[in-house]
Amino acid sequence: MPYYEKSEDWLHQSSLLLQARPATTRITTRYHIKPARRATKPTKTTADDGASDPTTTTPAAKQEEQDSKPPRGHLVLKTYDPESGVTLKYKTSKAAEVGRLVSMLGNLGRRMSGLPPDPSSAGAVDEEKGGNAAAAQSQDVEMVDASASGTQTPTTAAAAAVQEKQEKAAVNAGKGKKKKGKR
Amino acid sequence: MGHLTHDEFFTSLTSLFTTSKSSPKGSIILTQKRLSYNQPTPQPSESNDTFPDLNLASPLPLIIHATNAKSKEDRKAGKKIRLSTVVNPDDLEGFYSRYAEVCRAGMAGLKPRDRTKRKAKAKGRKKKGAVAAA
Repeated sequence: MPYYEKSEDWLHQSSLLLQARPATTRITTRYHIKPARRATKPTKTTADDGASDPTTTTPAAKQEEQDSKPPRGHLVLKTYDPESGVTLKYKTSKAAEVGRLVSMLGNLGRRMSGLPPDPSSAGAVDEEKGGNAAAAQSQDVEMVDASASGTQTPTTAAAAAVQEKQEKAAVNAGKGKKKKGKR
Repeated sequence: MGHLTHDEFFTSLTSLFTTSKSSPKGSIILTQKRLSYNQPTPQPSESNDTFPDLNLASPLPLIIHATNAKSKEDRKAGKKIRLSTVVNPDDLEGFYSRYAEVCRAGMAGLKPRDRTKRKAKAKGRKKKGAVAAA
């Protein structure tokens, strides 16, 4: 159950998961606030004061910190597919990211409903990188479903093989494989 | 509880966020998934296609849930709020732009953009330049 460092990585992996399992995957956004811990804050401010010029606008900054003290929130985005048990998470506490993240949700929503991804925005996840990981993902699905139904059409098998070749050729392939193991 | 219209959903969601602002702790959980219940999707056994959900004849709507995640005593006291709405594929764009607005306004507990660091950096650079000149 990894947390991704970058929201772009989360978006990319989530879109791949949605591509493979659009019917069962759900995306949960959890916004949580709790009272801030006061013990750690004062040391932080003093350190900042020491680093910067003492004659700067520190009083204002201090007041800002005091104002923002009581509730501290964070936001967790989670993509979960109950059928395969895949969970992808991203956590942030920055307000500046909210707008971007919701637009990501919108993009993923397009995939979820079955519409083609929006080419104008981040929906066109960097194709070069995306291809390899997509190969890994689709192979995953291939295997799962093959064991379930017992049939595998030759065309899909061939496609998987081609993708495997691409995977070997590219350096990024290792990334996709590692993630497979983590799940 | 039945599904709300978009307008109702957004007004309720806004009030959900405002009530969360007044208390020091709490969560709001938003979920989105494909609405396949009561929809004209072929069952896997009916079609020859291996993955009927990957090749849809027409796009399906989404269902969006929002809840304040109250449980136990609060739930018994009737404080749990659950909202749901259905978004048709044609309305996705409009819905998400409004959704983003409501979320941005409601998630006030997050860290605001920090401008003090940038200022400090600029100061530091100036100082360094001065040292180099001397």
